[in-house]
Amino acid sequence: MIQQYINSGILEAYVTGSASEQEVNELLYMKANYPEVNIALQELEKDMERIAQQMAITPPERTWDKISDTIDELILRQTSNPDQFTERGDGNGQNFTKPGSGPQYIEVEAESNHMKVHKTWKWVFIAVFVLSKIFLACAIYFYLENRQAQQQLKEIKTELQRLRR
Amino acid sequence: MLLGYIQEVVKEQAIAEQYLIELFNELKATDIKDLMDSGVNQFLRLQQIARKKLSSFISTVEDCADQDEITTKKTINGNKFIDMMGHDQQLVFCGVHYHGKTIVKLAAELNKPEDTIRQLLRESFTIIRNNRNDTAVHQ
Repeated sequence: MIQQYINSGILEAYVTGSASEQEVNELLYMKANYPEVNIALQELEKDMERIAQQMAITPPERTWDKISDTIDELILRQTSNPDQFTERGDGNGQNFTKPGSGPQYIEVEAESNHMKVHKTWKWVFIAVFVLSKIFLACAIYFYLENRQAQQQLKEIKTELQRLRR
Repeated sequence: MLLGYIQEVVKEQAIAEQYLIELFNELKATDIKDLMDSGVNQFLRLQQIARKKLSSFISTVEDCADQDEITTKKTINGNKFIDMMGHDQQLVFCGVHYHGKTIVKLAAELNKPEDTIRQLLRESFTIIRNNRNDTAVHQ
């Protein structure tokens, strides 16, 4: 009966990923209970590797560099899920006991370089910016006006001195 | 080996490399744990992930059941094991291996019973096994 199952082609469908969900579940059960099925499956996996080996291509070095960088990052990201450390005892910091035996963390508020402001400040900042530009334009205008007036005054003074002579 | 498989599907090395990089980059911690489990064939597991990832690409490439394609061997060019298979065996093997088709789908497409499709797939593997003596596998 087991041999019949092995010969049915379900194992081949499984290793190529073309088996239905029901077939997969059935096969996993058979694999767990019948070593013959497991051995046959391992043989098929080797066959799949043989096919792949026929078409194997060595990836360029740059490809592996790109991949390994990300894998290193993923390994570092592996998680334990620690409990938060809670202080218990006399309140004087003398008697610290851990609530659980697993890994723990102490929540520390990180110092941020950013400041949070209300959204309405955005319009205030825009208004201040626009007003500053207007004041700047006015200042330049009056400076030029003043310079021109000074120049005219100088010319008038010169004219007056010339007329006195 | 995985790059070779992807290239067989996408037919272009640059695209295949990009898929390979994306495949590894998109691996989750659970996938890596799964790959590291004892008894898991890592290559096959990665190939399954690749097949899933390539499913959108696969749907856009020429169909395996295309008679002209089989005749010109565009899909299965250069693999000695596949070259040894008969026409129906190639159709089935290529359909499941490179195009990610299920047995049910292939049975409907080829208008054959599912058992026949499974047997054709099994015959394909028998051909591979019978001709494996001159091909070593990296352990």
